[in-house]
Amino acid sequence: MTTPLVIAVPAKGRLQQNAEAFFARTGLELVKPRGVRDYRGAITDLPGVEVAYLSAAEIVDLLAQGVVHFGVTGEDLVREKIADADQHVILIDGLGFGHANVVVAVPQAWIDVHSMADLDDVATAFRLKHERKMRLATKYVNLTRNFFSAHGITDYRIVESTGATEGAPAAGTAELIVDITTTGTTLAANGLRVIEDGVILRSQANLVAARAANWGAPEREMARIVLDRIASQTRARAFREVRTRFAGCDAALLAEAKDRFGIETPFGGPTSSGMLTLHCPPKHVHALATRLREKGAENVVVADLGYVFSRANPLYAKLEAGLA
Amino acid sequence: MSAAPDGRADALLTSFERAGYARVAPAILQPAEPFLDLSGEDIRRRMYLTTDPQGRELCLRPDLTIPVSRDYLASPAAGAPQAFCYLGPVFRHRAEGAGEFLQAGIESFGRPDKAAADAEMLALGLEATAHYGLAAPDIHMGDVALFSALIAALDLAPAWKRRLIKDFNHKTSLVQDLDRLAISASHARPEYQGVLAALAGSDPKAAHALVTDLLSIAGITAVGGRSVGEIADRFLEQSALGAQTSLPRETRALIEKFLAIGGDPDEAAADLRAFAREAKIALDATLDLFESRTGFLAARGVDVGRIRFSTAFGRGLDYYTGFVFELYDPSAQAVGQLVAGGRYDGLLTRLGSASAISAVGFAVWIERLAQLRGTP
Repeated sequence: MTTPLVIAVPAKGRLQQNAEAFFARTGLELVKPRGVRDYRGAITDLPGVEVAYLSAAEIVDLLAQGVVHFGVTGEDLVREKIADADQHVILIDGLGFGHANVVVAVPQAWIDVHSMADLDDVATAFRLKHERKMRLATKYVNLTRNFFSAHGITDYRIVESTGATEGAPAAGTAELIVDITTTGTTLAANGLRVIEDGVILRSQANLVAARAANWGAPEREMARIVLDRIASQTRARAFREVRTRFAGCDAALLAEAKDRFGIETPFGGPTSSGMLTLHCPPKHVHALATRLREKGAENVVVADLGYVFSRANPLYAKLEAGLA
Repeated sequence: MSAAPDGRADALLTSFERAGYARVAPAILQPAEPFLDLSGEDIRRRMYLTTDPQGRELCLRPDLTIPVSRDYLASPAAGAPQAFCYLGPVFRHRAEGAGEFLQAGIESFGRPDKAAADAEMLALGLEATAHYGLAAPDIHMGDVALFSALIAALDLAPAWKRRLIKDFNHKTSLVQDLDRLAISASHARPEYQGVLAALAGSDPKAAHALVTDLLSIAGITAVGGRSVGEIADRFLEQSALGAQTSLPRETRALIEKFLAIGGDPDEAAADLRAFAREAKIALDATLDLFESRTGFLAARGVDVGRIRFSTAFGRGLDYYTGFVFELYDPSAQAVGQLVAGGRYDGLLTRLGSASAISAVGFAVWIERLAQLRGTP
């Protein structure tokens, strides 16, 4: 049996649901042929692909070792768990879910601390006054150390925390924390505040490729197919299709629309009959429709795009470049 | 076994013992806390860490200075002059080379004759390289006490003095600090400025009351480590800093001029005397010790003219308080320092000693010495 391309997907929780939904949207239907309790799956019409259901942390380990080719996991875990992450993995694309920031948060009572520079000063003063270093609770030991080192902060101690990190300052086991937050509500409820320049990482779920995996010709071919589908859907999701037909449409108007609304012209300018197809970012659709009618369009039809397949495959190009 | 001592290393230790240093062998498994606390979190990535069933962090010793110091403090001789030498494995994650490697070294505690003790360290360090066939290594030397004395003598806000001393060990931050000091602290936030202006000239009690009120208006119940008093004190400090938002150009020039002084110790001492006279800064006590040390070095037969002294040289660990040195292979066959050490008079207090105990020592990288050409 030839070795398949292995994609590791989170086995549990919201991340699994989001990942499955993501693959389904791209036309990659994940199935478990041997039943739902199986931790090995497949993709309906791609027999050369195996899906491994694993915990998010395991996925990172296996990516680092090259045991799997691709994995879906948070950038926060990748950067925390793999030293020199970019030497070992390629972050192919953000998947638009699992958003969370890794932040430095201090007690709200520290009204004199707004920036990392303030924190640096306070940390040194704290050591001199208390004859011990300020304690920082986190499970992001490596991210914290690198970030603090970049800010020249040395007078602190990390207290490793595996759960309920936000509670550490109130419990008296640490003075400040580095943790993940989406809305900041939990931090506020625990009397904590994010330092303004204290966002260490804006993380989301990523499709990650392992450099150390076996990337022979068959694996690359499968990867190209998978990434083509993902790219076509990513491109489709980023745009709406805008169609219209009117005589007043000229190159100057297209140039203006490119400039103002970021449109793309997948088929070039208007046809001889004046038919025009544009791709427009969703947030500019209304402004574009208004502008086209000002210039004489009678009707402007906007529709969602299913897939946009292009000759160029930017995601596969990124993989190839990364593996080179 | 990669880290087994060879015969030459044992002979080196014997020579240290003959010089009056008692051989000790501290535990390999150590509590992690003192290393992280004293060497900083940056060392964590290089340590072999584990946890005992009670949840305490333990490590395989990444160096021997802290273990030897802790054993000395726990012994009945704590506080009395004692001299130790060691040879054994230390453990650090390294990009190249095994995680376990041999270090030898010396720690000398409680000696009041600091200049002589400093000179003895460098002389014994040179004996160690000579023992491996390198009679004339490159000698890099610094004196952290000079920078501390300079900063103490400058008319600067306490917050800046704190920073400059801390950043002395991180040279890129020091440059940034000098830039920031020179440019001014005008990036301070407007709402902050209001508080600082309100506090200008007030006494600690009034500042304390204002901060208490501010917190209570904001509905914040104080949590987390720092007291209202500490926050108020810092506001006062910042407020005082407001009057001194930028470092006078001359002061920055002075620090830079100081950091440019170097050469052999005699030249450097002459330059520093001239610098101190011109800038009207009292460095006399520190320079007296410096010159006395140079005298002891010459008396021990060290070719003082070969020492490369620099005021900007530090060893990157904030527990050094004075003399620091590193020895290198001039042909660079062995990469990195062969011998390195210095004075760390603050270390034992930070390890829990009630009274100050002077301390000086150095470590020897046995495997690097063993790589030197012309050795079997």
